[in-house]
Amino acid sequence: MSTDAGLSDRASNPPWWDSDLAYDFLHSPVAMAAASVALVLLIVALGADMIAPYDSNNPASANVIDARLPPGAIGFAGEHYILGTDPQGRDMLSAIIYGLRTSLIVGFSSVLLAAFVGITLGLLSGYCGGLIDSVIMRIADVQLSFPAILIALLVDGVTRTVMGRGAHDALAVPVLVIAISASYWVQYARTVRGLVLVERDKEYVLAARVTGVAPVRIINSHIRPNVMGPVLVIATINLALAILTEATLSFLGVGVPPTKPSLGSLVRIGNEFLFSGDWWISIFPGAMLVILSLSVNLLGDWLRDALNPKLSDG
Amino acid sequence: MGTFIFRRLSQTLFVVLAAALASFVLLRYVGDPVNNMVGQAASLAERDAMRRALGLDDSILLQFVRFLRDIVNGDLGVSYRFGVPVSRLLMERLPATLELSVCAMLVATLVGVPLGVWTALHRRGVLSHVLLAISLIGVALPTFLIGIVLILIFSVWLGWLPSFGRGATVAIGHGWTTGLLTTSGLKALVLPSLTLGLFQMTLIMRLVRAEMLEVLRTDYIRFARARGLPRTTVNFDHALRNTLVPVITIVGLQFGNIFAFSIIVETVFQWPGLGLLVIQSIQFADVPLLASYLVLIAFGFALINLTVDLLYAVIDPRVRAGLIVSRARL
Repeated sequence: MSTDAGLSDRASNPPWWDSDLAYDFLHSPVAMAAASVALVLLIVALGADMIAPYDSNNPASANVIDARLPPGAIGFAGEHYILGTDPQGRDMLSAIIYGLRTSLIVGFSSVLLAAFVGITLGLLSGYCGGLIDSVIMRIADVQLSFPAILIALLVDGVTRTVMGRGAHDALAVPVLVIAISASYWVQYARTVRGLVLVERDKEYVLAARVTGVAPVRIINSHIRPNVMGPVLVIATINLALAILTEATLSFLGVGVPPTKPSLGSLVRIGNEFLFSGDWWISIFPGAMLVILSLSVNLLGDWLRDALNPKLSDG
Repeated sequence: MGTFIFRRLSQTLFVVLAAALASFVLLRYVGDPVNNMVGQAASLAERDAMRRALGLDDSILLQFVRFLRDIVNGDLGVSYRFGVPVSRLLMERLPATLELSVCAMLVATLVGVPLGVWTALHRRGVLSHVLLAISLIGVALPTFLIGIVLILIFSVWLGWLPSFGRGATVAIGHGWTTGLLTTSGLKALVLPSLTLGLFQMTLIMRLVRAEMLEVLRTDYIRFARARGLPRTTVNFDHALRNTLVPVITIVGLQFGNIFAFSIIVETVFQWPGLGLLVIQSIQFADVPLLASYLVLIAFGFALINLTVDLLYAVIDPRVRAGLIVSRARL
């Protein structure tokens, strides 16, 4: 039973469609366009099984006789390949749709994991202070001096080496998610810590502490909701970064296994056939990647400006 | 200043030691070193003798100390895949990567700074808006895709520039090879350094623009203009000079990033540098090579960061006076 969860604050907050954020959103054409594109891509990725013309995960859908057909070609058995086919004779459009799903799954999972770890450590660091704070922040400092992509690559590479080829292929996606979140948790931790330091000494926290609320509960129910705005901004921008990181690692051949289409691994496959003039195998998945990351990026930029009035005139 | 240097040095030492530990654990526990060296027919007694000869039955701490000593002496083990000492492999590949990185940074700085100045001085111009929009899209463009598009245009369709390798190289001095002295080497360098430098270029451009706009608003610029100084003197001697401190920091810091992204560019262009080597070592589970790379990269980055921090302290008197403990991070 939890009846104490805000009887009054629910009543005073306007509904979401009447909030400042919604107003700002409806008056920003860029934000609305970016959000629509992102939403369409999300729906396509979720409904891949119904929307894609062919099932890319089913080896039977590959016809070697239809390999590397240009966009718009008609296949041997009368199939229509709008975006052409890859070297295994798979429909590019279907492969891109399934690849989009892989990229989004990896992107969202790594953002969730990184945010969870980063927020937890940031809350601990900011609220507890002392030794815990110094240890966490020193680690964050050290990690920040290395490029994120390098950390993701090395974590993924070392895990791959430790596990061996066979075991790794089965666990490639979780390993990738861990590698990417390992390289992006620092931002959350630093931001949350900074915000907690401000919130910690405010009256409502003091009041909670005086009335004997347990520290875990103070952190989780009182402080955490007040630091989530900036976290949302970081998470949106990091989603684009995580998607690009996954694509890069898969392109380098150390991400998802070649059997599973992802936008990066499709570009990698196409790269080998670039000199045969088969540009569509790389360029279409690449274009999809750019559209996806651009729309998420623009959405993140808008969110940052909308939540921070000080920045809006910059 | 003293505490600042001490803190930075101890942090550097800690990073290098941590990387060495990771690489030690990787080497010691992934696969059995003895199994990798003896034949299949070796008896248990022979294996034990080998283990003792290699010092693998000593305490872990002693082994780690010995490992550190070997690193300092440049003995990084033998690559599983190539069968040659890792240190020799790394030294063979290092010139290619350094050459590529330096050229990319030069491209980025020499184009990025003028563009930044130009967009700041003409901030209402159409071209400035176009350049800024392009630089925004540049953020969403992954490096490998830029490389592929450049290859497609300039190598496949136009046939102007080579798409892979380093061209002909010339040996100078102690095993150092350079592609800067041959035509094919220079031609091979164009696309990779452009690919690698493009992102940094947009970054430098936007940074210079933002800093310039800030400086142009200050009083001393207004007074310089009021004194009737020539426009170019005000813009370049007064304004640009004061924007260069953060630019130097960023160029220094971005050098590390360039080094990391060279892995991607080297894979796209099959550039025979360190990055291509490490990707292959991951794919072939070449543990000694990967472990050495870990140590090398930690050392390299620690060095870059230390240099930038110390340089910053030299340039910015506030850091020297201990007013600011560490640099602001982007």
